[in-house]
Amino acid sequence: MELTTPGVATLRRDPDQRALGDAETADAALAASGDGRAFERLYRAHVARVHSLVRRMVGPDHADDIAQDVFVRAWTKLATFRGDAAFGTWLHRLAVNVILARRTTLGTERGRYVDSADILDGVAGRAAVPELSMDFEEAIGRLPDGARQVFVLHDVEGYRHEEIADMLGIVAGTSKSQLHHARMALRRHLER
Amino acid sequence: MNDQWTERLSEYLDGELAPAEQTALEAHLPSCDACRTTLDELRRVVTNARALDDRPPAADLWPAVAGRIGLSARARTRPAVRRFSFTVPQLAAASVVLALVSGGGAWLLGRRGTVPKRSDFVSRSTAGLLNASAYPGDARFAAQVADLERAIAQPGRLDTATVRVIARNLRIIDRAIRSAQSALAADPGNSYLNLHLAQEMRRKLELLRQAATLAGARS
Repeated sequence: MELTTPGVATLRRDPDQRALGDAETADAALAASGDGRAFERLYRAHVARVHSLVRRMVGPDHADDIAQDVFVRAWTKLATFRGDAAFGTWLHRLAVNVILARRTTLGTERGRYVDSADILDGVAGRAAVPELSMDFEEAIGRLPDGARQVFVLHDVEGYRHEEIADMLGIVAGTSKSQLHHARMALRRHLER
Repeated sequence: MNDQWTERLSEYLDGELAPAEQTALEAHLPSCDACRTTLDELRRVVTNARALDDRPPAADLWPAVAGRIGLSARARTRPAVRRFSFTVPQLAAASVVLALVSGGGAWLLGRRGTVPKRSDFVSRSTAGLLNASAYPGDARFAAQVADLERAIAQPGRLDTATVRVIARNLRIIDRAIRSAQSALAADPGNSYLNLHLAQEMRRKLELLRQAATLAGARS
């Protein structure tokens, strides 16, 4: 399987990163056998990326809870990790699944995939003065749910539209449209 | 600014336009300042997205995670004894499988005269194993493994469940050893990897010792 996540692609190319990946595969095997310290090492190595993904996908309010859920789920699913891909790739996909499963309880439904740029217009216009303008992360957080999720999965995490469509239960065309609207809104933010 | 190409600029940026559309847009761009400006801004958005730094949570989540999965916050290892609390028939059955899986190696070593006597094994120190980079050429480690495997190779009835448990644990450890070796091949001087490999080798010896001890006590 071709790996499209930027960080994962780096793992494949960089010998040091590849060695690290092998060590993580070993830690994953140890953790699967019940070694809590090995699992803590994996947690320490990946918590920033997982938490950032969660925060960007659902916002900061539930990020801690969902990030915990990701690692709890990972612990219970370690036996299914076979080392075919990097542990980070496996964990990342698992994290996306956990996040998307929580969308329903968080009120983020498929219907939020608006196909109009109008709702996105406000994203760039909330800061009154340039020196107080929000940073790029905050601008992403103000995107509507659908556009934000597609933008994060595509432009930040490197998934393809077909993969995103499959994960979100939409068609690839909707993913492309949401991505473009998100970029256009964030472009206005960069203009200031 | 909004012309027929405005909504297609992201697809162009991502290389997802059909060849004919791409050619048409590229013919349009030199004469359209607005599209060129927008395209440049979209590029900046994508560049910013790819450059985002990951930030850890404000508070360490590990204590909560460890609590939810039944570990202490200091991530203690699950009690290993739980995995080896087998009955005598189970141990006897498992020993047969161990002999089948890896007894061949011990036999070969024995043929070469490199397998130590059992009394020698008891007195051996594992301190030398800290230099893990010698594995698998470390004949002493191989001999210890072979000796222990022979020690627990007692005749008995096969118990499929036990066989699976022990074989699975050995596979896990062997996999960890192989992974560490692979990582060390790329970075031989990595002290963490050396220590990690040494720990896995000791772990295998400990597993075999516990099984041998229990088998010996019950035989």
